[in-house]
Amino acid sequence: MQSPLRTLILNLVTWTLVLLIAFPLLWMIITSVKPQTELFRIPPTWFPETITFEHYWRLLSETPFLTYFRNSVVLASTTTLFVVCLGTLGAYSLVRFRYRGRETLAMLVLFTYLLPSVVLIIPLYLMMVAIGLSNTLVSLILAHTTFALPYALWLLRSFMEGIPEDLESAALVDGASRMGAFRDIILPQLLPGIISTALFTFILSWNEYLYALVLVNSDSVAPLTTGVMSMLISTFNIEWSLLMAASVMMSLPLIIVFAFLQSYLTSGFGAGGVKG
Amino acid sequence: MADVTLRNVRKQFGTFVALEKLDIDIRSGEFVALLGPSGCGKSTTLRMLAGLEFPTSGEISIGGRVVNDVAPGKRDIAMVFQSYALYPHMTVGENIEYPLKKRGVKATERKAAVLRAAEMLQLEPLLDRKPKQLSGGQQQRVALGRALVRDPQVFLLDEPLSNLDAKLRSYMRAELIELHRRLGKTMVYVTHDQLEAMTMASRIAVMFDGRLQQFDTPAAVYNRPANRFVASFIGTPSMNQLEGAVDGSTFRVAGHAIPIDRSRFVHALGSGTFVLGVRPEFVTIGGGDLPARIRLVENTGHEQIVTLELTDGTRLLARTDAARRLDVGQSVQIGFHPDALHLFAPEETGRRLNKDDAASVIPMRSR
Ligand SMILES: Nc1ncnc2c1ncn2[C@@H]1O[C@H](COP(=O)(O)OP(=O)(O)OP(=O)(O)O)[C@@H](O)[C@H]1O
Ligand SMILES: [Mg+2]
Repeated sequence: MQSPLRTLILNLVTWTLVLLIAFPLLWMIITSVKPQTELFRIPPTWFPETITFEHYWRLLSETPFLTYFRNSVVLASTTTLFVVCLGTLGAYSLVRFRYRGRETLAMLVLFTYLLPSVVLIIPLYLMMVAIGLSNTLVSLILAHTTFALPYALWLLRSFMEGIPEDLESAALVDGASRMGAFRDIILPQLLPGIISTALFTFILSWNEYLYALVLVNSDSVAPLTTGVMSMLISTFNIEWSLLMAASVMMSLPLIIVFAFLQSYLTSGFGAGGVKG
Repeated sequence: MADVTLRNVRKQFGTFVALEKLDIDIRSGEFVALLGPSGCGKSTTLRMLAGLEFPTSGEISIGGRVVNDVAPGKRDIAMVFQSYALYPHMTVGENIEYPLKKRGVKATERKAAVLRAAEMLQLEPLLDRKPKQLSGGQQQRVALGRALVRDPQVFLLDEPLSNLDAKLRSYMRAELIELHRRLGKTMVYVTHDQLEAMTMASRIAVMFDGRLQQFDTPAAVYNRPANRFVASFIGTPSMNQLEGAVDGSTFRVAGHAIPIDRSRFVHALGSGTFVLGVRPEFVTIGGGDLPARIRLVENTGHEQIVTLELTDGTRLLARTDAARRLDVGQSVQIGFHPDALHLFAPEETGRRLNKDDAASVIPMRSR
């Protein structure tokens, strides 16, 4: 039973939450298009009197923002590619093959999550130095892969378990090789799982800060998170307008990626879809 | 066309023995049913024939070729799965086409073959649909189509009708019989439904507990069950089995002696416990001297299944025609058709002890 009061309260709570979450984002966008002069006015202007894109322009032309951006794109995409490939094959193995220690192995990969990243980061850094990868994008890709992969493995495993083994058996009888059956039958069925995993990995890698801070320290290989921070936030001054403009541009790819893949996720693709 | 042989095949999953020493010879063009209760190893047997499961030991051959190490796709078999296993992301047409594609058949030939198969199974209007948009019966036909399109040597079918409703099932049963007659291919058909096995198969392999119990024609399996298990598994309602002792030329049960013809059984009948088997249709109510009481009468319209209770509480079933008037609680004298008696060793799969000859088959109508 829905009493009007209950509805009212639920609505109130929901909208409060929405506002709480949306306000900083809104403020970020507003600030990014305000001229410097309007920035610290009290009381603040809700809608800027003049809209300017000078901060965006300065960011793109006078700072290494584009380099950071490119680094982030390369970093997040490569990590995603690695994680999805390894995760898919690993999940397939965990679900389809019977071998000793299979369950233990699956549990063990989650062990990484029991330790705070700061505990892992120093050994990881030393390892990267030892194999001559310190201060490279590759070291970050590897680091991000190590912390995204376990979760991806579990996610993909549960999707994989939803694919009936008979489908694969049928493909084998129909003349496909194991790899052929994997490509023709498993992969298309796994697509929703792969997309969710890719989404999760991409976002994780795109937003990651701590590893990037420790493993990489030159502008040419820094991703957006650390690059923008070190560029615009110094001990004496925070370049608010530039920071907000940068933040807007950093969020944009995620919003685009999400909006694009969201439709895939919910389109009830194959067996993983929600439709029965 | 090819014969299929399982020679001394054993299958273990870890320490669990799923199949024990299986020997089956299937002749070319034969329709064989693997029949048995759930978990007896039917699917495992079929999956080993398909190459999806490896025998722990023993030899499997198809068309005279040992196929133990041959991949499923290279065995020239087609299989219909209990779950149909239609590829959900492909249309009906693509599903049927898939095995041809995997064997490198040219596109134009593929199209023609798919159309041929679709026509045979009346699937033409459905070719562009996805499996999800089909009814159970249609899905079943697509699964058959995918098997038929390739003209394989052997068809393996794992309970293909079990997901269908009764009406569609009997229709598809007839279709499959017709299909087998037309193609003349070896077919191995797994089922736990004895009606399917009895009506479709030329021979039935009855399995229980990972062992082959009997492999013979439907009539033989019905009339000369190899052991107690087969006797109780085949036939609805199943055969009455009364525990008792052989005493001279009588069988003692519930304090009464039922005359038996010793010459019809193997000589070495010693004393001790035996089991007397008699099918319900050979129990005559009012035609003997064994006192019993009627406990339940189930009238199905064309016959009555009567539950009887002997003086010691043993229950047995009789089958009589529907017109006969019988009342629950009524005391009756019952008798057994003397030629229809089976004698078994007492254990669960106790051997049948009749001397077997074709003469021991009594036509159903002579009761
Ligand atoms: N992969 C497996 N691992 C372990 N045990 C298995 C495996 N596959 C089957 N079994 C066991 O082997 C036995 C036979 O299984 P099978 O699937 O052949 O039975 P079935 O006769 O087809 O039964 P149903 O009529 O229920 O399909 C069962 O007890 C089952 O639990
Ligand atoms: Mg089965």
